[in-house]
Amino acid sequence: MIEIKDLCFSYQNRKKAKERKEIVHNLNLTVKDNEFLCLLGPSGCGKSTILKIIAGFEKAEKGVILDNGEEINDVSYERAMVFQEDAVFPWMRVYQNVEYGLKARGIEKAERDEIANHFISLVGLSGVENQYPKELSGGMKKRVDLARVLSNNPRIMLMDEPFGALDAMTKEKLQEQLLQIWEKTKKTIIFVTHDIEEAIFLGDRVAIMQPISFGGELHVYDIPFERPRSLAIKENPQFQKMRRQMIDELKEYESF
Amino acid sequence: MIKTKNRIPPSLLAFLVLMVAWVLATMVFKVVTYTFLPSPVDLAEALWSMRKNLLSACLASLRITMSGFLIGLTVGLLMGLLMAYSKAFMDTVGPFMEFTRPIPVFALIPLFMIWFGLGILPQVFLVALGVMGIIGVQTYEAIKNMPLIYIRASQNLGANKKTIFKTVVIPYIIPHLVGAIRVAAATSWGLDVAAEFMGVQIGLGYNMIVQQMYLNTPGIMVIVLIYCCFAIILDKIIAAIERRLTVWTDRAVVTFEGIK
Repeated sequence: MIEIKDLCFSYQNRKKAKERKEIVHNLNLTVKDNEFLCLLGPSGCGKSTILKIIAGFEKAEKGVILDNGEEINDVSYERAMVFQEDAVFPWMRVYQNVEYGLKARGIEKAERDEIANHFISLVGLSGVENQYPKELSGGMKKRVDLARVLSNNPRIMLMDEPFGALDAMTKEKLQEQLLQIWEKTKKTIIFVTHDIEEAIFLGDRVAIMQPISFGGELHVYDIPFERPRSLAIKENPQFQKMRRQMIDELKEYESF
Repeated sequence: MIKTKNRIPPSLLAFLVLMVAWVLATMVFKVVTYTFLPSPVDLAEALWSMRKNLLSACLASLRITMSGFLIGLTVGLLMGLLMAYSKAFMDTVGPFMEFTRPIPVFALIPLFMIWFGLGILPQVFLVALGVMGIIGVQTYEAIKNMPLIYIRASQNLGANKKTIFKTVVIPYIIPHLVGAIRVAAATSWGLDVAAEFMGVQIGLGYNMIVQQMYLNTPGIMVIVLIYCCFAIILDKIIAAIERRLTVWTDRAVVTFEGIK
């Protein structure tokens, strides 16, 4: 369980060293175990910042984030980040990328091979294990990234607009695949996106983050659709209604 | 399809043009004096007359340059990596580097002779120092400019600092160092010539000074050509190693052809 309590965070102004720009203000949120939570909001509202603090890359300024009751103060493989940018190591072949975390944590070769091969086939990378990332498409690279993170068996996955740079078709395919994997592994996922459809399709809950000028609070929607979900629910009238509602709310914030 | 058969490579063509111009200027029209620019035949004669001590001179110069280059490369890489790895190391060594780096290495030759004597040591040391300066700075800069995301991804997957350096930093910077390594290799030949001018009684550079005393232009030119060959061979070797180490890079060659 992740508990965010009265979190504040500000960035240093690049031009004026003494000024700080507050980006997160007194934020509270609890993410239950095995929950799929989507975080939605206008760009620059601090969604990614929250993920970075949960991951341990940034320090909370005020307030705390608890992971199973313990304060987060370091980076851990148990809270794994999937970045928006391409973070796959281009100097390693697909296979080496996937087994990277296992190797870094000193896991024996036999076990490493078994786990890496399992996730390579799970995300549909069989046959390209020995290629370099430069030979793969954007969608394939994202799969490598996913397999790399999943191999490490993290408790929590922090996904920062992971499919943001992909084309619509590839994106839908990966969304479906991610859901299938999540059903099987039941990890806790915090998924940041600015794609409303994506958020409703994937999440148990969708939290819309207000920009700080609107109070910086979270507005949480419960998503009622049953699991396992298929892409067909995107056509569902209730789905469309929720989508409309969120668009209207976000539009209000875009003007800030 | 573009015909590639039977075409003379441009570099060979350039070489031939130069040779023809040289032969015309020195042997047919004789527009220059022997001392200013000797003919190819004069060079061949000079090469023959120098045959006795040329081999040992070549070996001596190769030894100075290559050991200096390799020592400088290794130490430079280590310094750059250590400066990025440890802030304490950077804070201790950095200021000294900052202070000594602008000193032209060539200006140190007389001092080196006083400090280290006339043997081969000051020469090797000088080449190493010059190479180290180039490689050290480039290594440090390449690390400081690498994308943070790779470091974070690695750390997030459970790697410690040592593993991050071994598996992420070093492989990432290699392609970014190739330019610097080739510059350093070229520079090390120059440093060797300069060092030999002042120090040793062996080597190609020393022989060059002897030839100059006798105003023997063909002799000087023979040695220049030998240096040329060595430099080209070393450059080709580095380029071949580079190709093997950077197969993973997605390097498209920039061309401005067809852009108006």
